[in-house]
Amino acid sequence: MRQFLLFVFVLLIPCFGLWTVANAPIGLPAIGIAGSLLSNWFPDVVNALSPSGPEAILMTEFGEKAGQLIPLSQADYRLGFQINTRVLSYSLPFYTALHFATQRKTYLADYLWGLLILYVLFICGLVCLCLKTLMVNVSAPFFNQAGVFVPNAEVIAVSYQFSVLIVPTLAPAILWLSQSKDSPLLQGLFVRTVDR
Amino acid sequence: MLRFVTTFLLILLALFTLELLAPVQEHVIVPFTAVLASLSAVLILPFDSSVVAYGKILQFKDSGFAVSIEAGCNGVEATIVLIAAICAFPGSWRARLIAIFLGFLAIQVMNIVRIISLFYLGDWNMEYFSWIHLYLWPALIMLDVLVVFIVYLRYLSVQAKPLETTVG
Repeated sequence: MRQFLLFVFVLLIPCFGLWTVANAPIGLPAIGIAGSLLSNWFPDVVNALSPSGPEAILMTEFGEKAGQLIPLSQADYRLGFQINTRVLSYSLPFYTALHFATQRKTYLADYLWGLLILYVLFICGLVCLCLKTLMVNVSAPFFNQAGVFVPNAEVIAVSYQFSVLIVPTLAPAILWLSQSKDSPLLQGLFVRTVDR
Repeated sequence: MLRFVTTFLLILLALFTLELLAPVQEHVIVPFTAVLASLSAVLILPFDSSVVAYGKILQFKDSGFAVSIEAGCNGVEATIVLIAAICAFPGSWRARLIAIFLGFLAIQVMNIVRIISLFYLGDWNMEYFSWIHLYLWPALIMLDVLVVFIVYLRYLSVQAKPLETTVG
């Protein structure tokens, strides 16, 4: 346990450092997929989700004048909202530190599977984050789209809270537990307790 | 393992939804967060006369920098994760309750360290404050939960061994 903790602390610094430096390219595919999903789901509200440095900009089909939403045709510019993708993607360096701090027989295959799962969750989280942004900032025109299924406000609120507050730290921990149950650190603990 | 994960996620979702309900927020979460803020202030004030505390706000008198301790900064989500993990595991209720109580203390001690460290960090550099607040500390708090849970598993394992010897 002490060795594991020491390795985690030692690895957390370079893993988070690398993630900070490489965050923009790491987020690109997720931004592309989430953007494509949202602009097809809400064609009258979402124009695109575009990368902007380490973050993303959710471009809408509206303009703004004196704090009021107006149709794009009457506006001087398109209204967009900044989306912080890093509040979701920090699951990747956290998982990396946990994974490589644990003594195990094979490292790479499990790690790649873990990254893939976390990346899918990252995309889902990004969609939830954008839905919450649209709910708060666009509100009525977002909820009143004709012929489009829009989740209700409570579902959006819970999924946002869950995606941002719980998933980025919990998903790496669950993945690590399930992949490390045969490691010297956890060996036998799950067999004795869960499967007996 | 699959049964554990499924039970864990169900309990987690139920507790998390419960936490978000308005009456729970009003009568439990907000007062608890205020207590946490007061406790942080009580720990800081004897050592630093440049700090003032009112309600859930801690502020430096000289620089004016202040932090407000909000829901989401109170370690409740981490505690919910721990409770769900412990309840999803086979074990006696006595062991579970002790683990939840000690785990709650471990999380809150860590959380107070987090609040105080962020308060001083924010006064020094806002960029580092944001980075550590949003990304590093949540990971460290979850690591705390993970360690408490592993210690609990080891305790259960040690408890089960003499039983196995006696039976076998």
